[in-house]
Amino acid sequence: MLRLGICIAVFVTAMNLFAQKIDRSKPPQTAPLNSFRLPPVFETTLENGLRVVLVEDRRFPLVTLRAGFLAGSKFDPEQLPGLSEATGALLTQGTKMRTARQIAEELATIGGSLSASSGPDTLILHGSALAEHTATLVDLLADVILNANFPESEVQIWKNRRKQELIAERSDAAFWAEEKLATAVFGRHPYSRLNPTLESIDSLNRESLVTFRDHYVAPNNAVLILLGALPAPEETFKLLREQLGGWEKKELPSPPAVSFPDPVRKLILVDRPGSVQADIRVGRLAVPRTSPDYFPLLVANTILGGGASSRMFMKIREEKGYAYDAHSVLQPRRDAGLFAAVTQVRNEVVQPAIEAVQMEMEQLGKEDVPAGELGDVKNYLSGTFVMSLETQNGLATQLSTMELMGLPADYLEKYTQRVRAVSPDQIREVSRKYVAPERASIIVVGDASKIAKPLEKFGKFSVEKAE
Amino acid sequence: MKTAVLFLFALCLCAAIVEAGDFKVAFEKYQLKNGMRVILCPDRSVPVVSIYVIYGVGARSEEKGRTGFAHLFEHMMFQGSANAPKGRHFKLVESNGGTLNGSTHPDYTDYFEVLPSNNLAVGLWLEADRMCALAITEENLANQKEAVKQERRLSFDNQPYATAIVDRWPQISFTNWSNAHSLIGSFEDLNAATVEDAVNFFKIYYAPNNAVLVVSGDMNVLETKRLIETYFGDIESQAQPKHPDLSEPASPAPRWDVYRDTLAQVPAVVIGYPGPVRRSPDYYSLAMLDILLTGGESSRFQQNLVKGRQSVVQYEANLGWPFASATDYKDPGHYAMFLLHNPNFTAKQIVEQVEEELASIQKDGVSEKELNRARAYFRSLYISQLQSSLRRAMLLGKYELLDGNPDYINTEIASYLAVTPDQIQVAAKKYCNPGRRFVLEIIPAEKPEK
Repeated sequence: MLRLGICIAVFVTAMNLFAQKIDRSKPPQTAPLNSFRLPPVFETTLENGLRVVLVEDRRFPLVTLRAGFLAGSKFDPEQLPGLSEATGALLTQGTKMRTARQIAEELATIGGSLSASSGPDTLILHGSALAEHTATLVDLLADVILNANFPESEVQIWKNRRKQELIAERSDAAFWAEEKLATAVFGRHPYSRLNPTLESIDSLNRESLVTFRDHYVAPNNAVLILLGALPAPEETFKLLREQLGGWEKKELPSPPAVSFPDPVRKLILVDRPGSVQADIRVGRLAVPRTSPDYFPLLVANTILGGGASSRMFMKIREEKGYAYDAHSVLQPRRDAGLFAAVTQVRNEVVQPAIEAVQMEMEQLGKEDVPAGELGDVKNYLSGTFVMSLETQNGLATQLSTMELMGLPADYLEKYTQRVRAVSPDQIREVSRKYVAPERASIIVVGDASKIAKPLEKFGKFSVEKAE
Repeated sequence: MKTAVLFLFALCLCAAIVEAGDFKVAFEKYQLKNGMRVILCPDRSVPVVSIYVIYGVGARSEEKGRTGFAHLFEHMMFQGSANAPKGRHFKLVESNGGTLNGSTHPDYTDYFEVLPSNNLAVGLWLEADRMCALAITEENLANQKEAVKQERRLSFDNQPYATAIVDRWPQISFTNWSNAHSLIGSFEDLNAATVEDAVNFFKIYYAPNNAVLVVSGDMNVLETKRLIETYFGDIESQAQPKHPDLSEPASPAPRWDVYRDTLAQVPAVVIGYPGPVRRSPDYYSLAMLDILLTGGESSRFQQNLVKGRQSVVQYEANLGWPFASATDYKDPGHYAMFLLHNPNFTAKQIVEQVEEELASIQKDGVSEKELNRARAYFRSLYISQLQSSLRRAMLLGKYELLDGNPDYINTEIASYLAVTPDQIQVAAKKYCNPGRRFVLEIIPAEKPEK
């Protein structure tokens, strides 16, 4: 059993150090932030290969858990997108011991919840309960992991409901923008499939769910994180061994081949008649979470479009008034990442808005970021990181990212140092490699009758339907 | 209770319960000479501090011809002040490692900064500077009118269901104009707003005596008090603003309307019943009724409508929906719900099914066992939200502004817990019946009208 006391040094620097007295005309002087200690972390691996992480945090009478599996949508068979999501959703809908209703009622009784979320790489069960009911929560978790039996009736209910939800989601412009961008960037890799289709939901059945579960819901493919006002660690480990020690190790199928298309510009206009705005994404392939380029790219992305002081926000919203929202995203996954600049503008300004976005993207690879701006962004990233540790959920999310994305054990401790270490040279370099617009795809969702013409300036767009 | 966040403006969690003795949120309340109320809530476990300023002004303070003004003004609050010129507010907070935002509600408007705790003074300085001397200029006003129009296009005009809910629903469910008009306002009214309007609005509503400041999280209390006195102490108070008459007719006629939504692809229905007075016994009873019906997987709607009949796909419901949660519900409001439904069912059938669920409670009541589940569910949600310094600050600020008693953060749970099966049955009968019901059907329209 490994015991870690993680010490986080935040390095949010003070500003305006020369101000001498308190005076309304100047922002006040502040001192540097002291480092602080996270609650103690205990780690172990059970004999069946299940990694377990416990964090004692007694501020609130609650417990939070995550059971994470490398079983996200990239493991879906090509003809069955949505299988990972469906498996996660139906794990809690009936076991050999309990009906779906019994599970739901028992969870409510302990002030708890247990539900799954499926991402590109991972399938994660999220649980919580009032602390006095920790043992019941673990019992329920073990039951759904070991005994889920995917009752036909529940499978059918889920399928019917998910189809209606999907139809509703498809009425949203952002749904199409994200789908088409993922396809443009990831090509034939399963990362290109963000959502199930009506056809794939129809094709799902009990057998496909059971098979997926049997392959991937395995102790040697999982990490269990439990934090909050827990019993003593020895007692919690004992409980976990009793409940999950008999869970058998499995031979895991090999993951899909890691192969991505070279970044080549694709221009796609998704026609959405009646749109009063154009939803714009300019994006391309970026790095996996473990890449040495990740931190420089994180800083570059924040300079470009993170928060309300970013270059895109200042230019597109504040200076030009083209849009309410202008930001950029960096979505690192295990095998690759996605970078995109995002804005939704009124139809008349679609062309100058794209030009302005591309100019900002290009600029990052050309000129050094001024020291002041760079320091500000590093402060922002460090501060928001510390904020994410305030709640059990926030801490559980950080820990599960660390465990499931293959990050080093000193990830939390070194996060702000790694942000601090990024240099202007590195930012220029990664921006040329992953941000520069000439190899980025442009996806626009809007009313083609109004915006097709101004888009011609960027080349020939293929027009697709929002369906 | 929500099963899905469907809308950008979907607001906070419903409130829940902590049993006495679970723990206590310690805080201190005092008042500056200018009338500004201050609440300090220290907790030094994580080096994060939240600053929350809540003003007693909202969309219901607006006058005819000036709809959307409260929200436009929220934007103006980020456009610079005497010593922190345009762009400086965002920049100072973010470059000091913090985040910030503001939001407009029917009965209040609020602003926050969350910062690494060494930079508390920066946040206080910024909030004081804009309360003291906001830069209300032609240029800023014109720029923010455009930003609000963009926000409207993004969050409402281009989103399925949003226009029906934000513009149409209040017109159906309220009679009094102050309650019924659009929170985001019309483009015409936004265009008509002048700098003089903005200056007057600021003077009346953004005075220290109409505000509550909450600081929550990692702080030295003595030092924080000194900073607050320094920055806020000399801001002048103003005459207390008048509050409009918000009363609704005692027995409004039931209404049923249809909205054709060109962006929606799945039908939906909104159902609402005029609700009780804030903090009356019925208010707590309806909040618990809501949990029984819609709170979590084991709730009646989930088990009987979503799974049993498979008629409802997703839903949101609470006291105050869509603009408030149970904690910031201020009368008059509704117990209202939004149900996205399977197109094989008509809106009429959905309304009937909802009322069958209500009728079952009206007729047979609820068991102590089922109610205990709802209590545990509520209590857990409530404790959960208290983990964040910002959520604690928000609750304290709202309790002070809306009730004059921030200690509700510790004591109000007892009122929810004390609700009995009988009280729920009585409240269900009294409030949720077709004779006082408003319905808005949202039907996907075939073709765009334009």
